[in-house]
Amino acid sequence: MTENVTEFEPDILAFCCNWCSYAGADLAGVSRFQYPPTVKILRVMCSSRVEPVFILRALKDGADGVLVAGCHIGDCHYIDGNKNAEVRINNTKKALAKLGLDKRLRLEWISASEGARFSEVIRDFTEEIKKLGQNPIKEVKIDE
Amino acid sequence: MRRVSKTSPRSSIYNSNIYGLDTKGIWTCLTCGLCPQECPQQVDFLGFIKEEREGGQPLEIAHLGVFTELAELSSRLDGNIRADPAGSTYGYFPGCVESLGLFLHDVKTDFGAITASSLKLLDRAGIKPQIIQMKCCGHDILWQGKKDVFDRLKDYNTGYIKDSGIDTLITSCAECYRTFSKDYDLGIRVIHISELLDKLGLEINKEVTYHDPCRLGRHMGVYDAPRKALTANGARLKEMEHSKEKALCCGVSSFMNCNEQTKALRIARMDEAQAAGVNTLITTCPKCLAHFNCLKSEKEAIKRYDFDVVDLTVFLARHMEVK
Repeated sequence: MTENVTEFEPDILAFCCNWCSYAGADLAGVSRFQYPPTVKILRVMCSSRVEPVFILRALKDGADGVLVAGCHIGDCHYIDGNKNAEVRINNTKKALAKLGLDKRLRLEWISASEGARFSEVIRDFTEEIKKLGQNPIKEVKIDE
Repeated sequence: MRRVSKTSPRSSIYNSNIYGLDTKGIWTCLTCGLCPQECPQQVDFLGFIKEEREGGQPLEIAHLGVFTELAELSSRLDGNIRADPAGSTYGYFPGCVESLGLFLHDVKTDFGAITASSLKLLDRAGIKPQIIQMKCCGHDILWQGKKDVFDRLKDYNTGYIKDSGIDTLITSCAECYRTFSKDYDLGIRVIHISELLDKLGLEINKEVTYHDPCRLGRHMGVYDAPRKALTANGARLKEMEHSKEKALCCGVSSFMNCNEQTKALRIARMDEAQAAGVNTLITTCPKCLAHFNCLKSEKEAIKRYDFDVVDLTVFLARHMEVK
């Protein structure tokens, strides 16, 4: 173990909406689509449940990436929750851009039938985060 | 606070950490500074509150603490924007209006307009400042008791200002103004934008009323500059029942204690503005602006209040365009 330099494995937090993306992740598992074990899935009832503060706190506590996944526009179980989510996430992205963290946040629409797409999104996002390196907040040491 | 709840500065001092009793009074205080004003016993009550809060846990932070998290996050990262030492000796700091606009998008207030208007007005006043893009001034964090985070922000910002080589820092936010003047040691002149706006030569010809933000008024003692900026440009100022030193609080400071008691305070202030019988309520603090507009966007309030709440700079810039 000491001989191999372990490759950087990102920690990604994924908020998946109960009705589409969580089911999509389930389908990916049932259909045995492969995706890297870098993601921790958190089920929320709707993508608009994800407050900007959740994302900020996740990044502050050292998540390398945050994925918010919901139903496609027009398919939301709560009619227009995902539209609200889009506004919120895009605003959060703008706020994060100032800190240079905006690429670590992603919003994706994944429906319940898109298991393959779920695994593809995770693979793609993991690759992107690997290129970005780890969350800069982990490098900064704070003298307490 | 005494208007709306059973609270007293005396008991919050008695009950606080000194006697190890209840610290609730420390956290429900709005730090508006009206108590020392009404009862001038030379007690530095605000300083006491600020020190007592250090390291404590706030009772509640509005908006789930999103601004606190943002400031904490930015305090731990290196800023990716560098100061430009070749720029003007005036610096203009827009404050956090941008993130206010991003996270308070349901308040129906264009916070970004404050920055745009301020720059326009400064341009007219003949000042071409360099725009200071440093981190949050740390005002809310400081009053929420997170001194360590505040110190990190302060270190970064002080360094930034030294690098930028400015000798005058202009802010358009009352809270930034207070923080840079009193809680930082910048060694440069810090002014609020309202002090520069009395020679614009506008002819507004409208009746307005002015709400003194606690940070600009009682904390810093700037009462006349914004009034002069209004009257010198032709606006007729009609004072509310309580104004200047006795001005009521907008109800919330540093994003804490947004609850039914402070809402009653906000309603009291809005009612005074309504009683003044004008079309526009002017303020100079983005937070006051947000809180009044938040109340105004509620269903019942829309019928009740038929005036606009705008920032001083936005108001003046709007009339500059008309000409």
